[in-house]
Amino acid sequence: MSTYLAKRGGVMIPTIIGIVTVVFLMVRALPGDPVVFLLGDEGAVGAEALEIMREQLGLTDSIPVQYVRYVAKTLTFDLGNSLLSGVPVVELLKNAIPITLAVAAASVVFSVLVAVPLGALAAYWRTQGKDSLDQGLTWFAIIADALPGFWIALVMLLVFSLHLGWFPVSGTIEWTDPWQVFTRLALPVVVLGIAQLASIARVTRTAVLDALQDDYVRTARSLGTPELTILFRHALRNSMLPVITVLGLSFGRLLGGTIITENVFSLPGMGTLLVQGISGRDYTVAQGVVLVYAFLFISVNLITDVLYTRIDPRVKLEA
Amino acid sequence: MATAGIALRRSGAWVETVKDLRTSTAGRFFSNRSNQIAVLFIGPVVVLALIAQWLPIQEPLEINIVDRFQSPSLGHPFGTDGLGRDLLSRTLAGLRLSLWIGFAAAMIALTLGVIIGTMAGFMGRGVDRAISVVTDVMLSFPTLLLVIGVVAVMGPGVTQIIIAIAVADTPRAIRLQRSLAMGLRSRPYMDAARLASAPTRWILVRHVIPNTIAPMIVVATLYASNAIQAEAALSFLGLGIVPPEPSLGNLVADGRNYLQNAWWISTIPGLCIAIVAIGLHFLSDGVRDFLDPRQRS
Repeated sequence: MSTYLAKRGGVMIPTIIGIVTVVFLMVRALPGDPVVFLLGDEGAVGAEALEIMREQLGLTDSIPVQYVRYVAKTLTFDLGNSLLSGVPVVELLKNAIPITLAVAAASVVFSVLVAVPLGALAAYWRTQGKDSLDQGLTWFAIIADALPGFWIALVMLLVFSLHLGWFPVSGTIEWTDPWQVFTRLALPVVVLGIAQLASIARVTRTAVLDALQDDYVRTARSLGTPELTILFRHALRNSMLPVITVLGLSFGRLLGGTIITENVFSLPGMGTLLVQGISGRDYTVAQGVVLVYAFLFISVNLITDVLYTRIDPRVKLEA
Repeated sequence: MATAGIALRRSGAWVETVKDLRTSTAGRFFSNRSNQIAVLFIGPVVVLALIAQWLPIQEPLEINIVDRFQSPSLGHPFGTDGLGRDLLSRTLAGLRLSLWIGFAAAMIALTLGVIIGTMAGFMGRGVDRAISVVTDVMLSFPTLLLVIGVVAVMGPGVTQIIIAIAVADTPRAIRLQRSLAMGLRSRPYMDAARLASAPTRWILVRHVIPNTIAPMIVVATLYASNAIQAEAALSFLGLGIVPPEPSLGNLVADGRNYLQNAWWISTIPGLCIAIVAIGLHFLSDGVRDFLDPRQRS
């Protein structure tokens, strides 16, 4: 196991170097002079002020020097200060990351809790000759996939917050007040969950349908095991691998979804930070957020691979 | 209606018509159920979007402050926005832009994917390694994040968005084409061609690309759908198409502030995105059946 992890981690190193390089180059490739943007043009503040600022930001050095310095700083978790507010980017991220992670994780839990039983039942009923739930799921999948996330979010906001008044539209998140956290995060979690629900249910359904034809199911049946026990204990258990695959594969979409959902529900997470950073040309902030997103993404890919081997002993450990 | 159908089915003419339909290429395409659903969804949208400028409706940018916040009616089927602009006209303009972005981004990703993916599969280990390192790095960013990143660098605008989306899709296309091409390497006809000392370029053009293009076109349909969604998301976040030029995403964003009193501003353009996406979903299914030689009778 540990050698597998080491090998798999080793493969990630070039990717990590690549990510850091891309993020560094992204900001160098930006049009316009960040110093002029920050202070105003030369006529307004004078060439000297611009020069001092440039010096402070380390923009006077050559690109390779800047690159080495950037890598070194990143390795020590120093992502610079926000160009607009002067607050360290790490501080901003410290507040934003838990919100994004909470919403993302809760949405995964929500969608699995809803979709897996649905998919299993659809498969079970299909073997009984009733496929209306199955067809319903197919259409739900198509429609849920087609509707833009921000649209679903806005409609939810319109119905549940503005018309029914069940959930607050905005407000900060106090982690000490669980009820407040719940009401504030419920809608975003459901919106993000819907996007994953459909594909998880479809995959569960297909896998369970396969599993129901396996020998051990026939054996269990011949021993007089109740159908529901067969379905949920035997067939479903052996169908979790594809579900994990789908969760891993759709994690990128989930992260993309958090950017949009946070924006609609004005949650101060990483997505909001990113959009603010880009529209306010606060490059250090944008840079930091992109870096964290990319790291989260590849870490989850690694975790999915490892989970695989834990859940299915048949999967060989080959990096 | 039903009896007429049975009568028609009993007469030989019906069978002949169906045979004709099955044999002609267009007929074969449209006799597929997925393609029929696709045409049902996208057909009207495409036609309306293309002829919008000749329809007797207000110009997309024309402001008519007296008619602001009109709910959907005969005069304004999709209602009007806060400046009294006609939302049908703006939605159709946005749709045309979306269709163009979807088509262009998918074509770029498809072309680059086929060329670079084939190179990765056939130009030796070094080239393959180099290409896969670059695609791996690009795929370690969530798609929307990559698109946002590229747009942040290049600035907003239609061309920039097309490039950004194509950049995000291309690594996926490269990977798929590479694996398809690799799968062909051990086929007997490839050995035969190599034994006959056919030049590599000829083998690639004659054997490899024709045998990989069908699945690539199928995924390109999905790329087009994703591109439309990505543009909408970008413009919604205020990083894409800049108002007043209408795009489906910024129309939805524009209605956010009036959600409670003017629900139609945000909801209708959003539904249009869904209609196009559903249509493209069925189109990709239909195209897959259509291009699969095993489905041919």
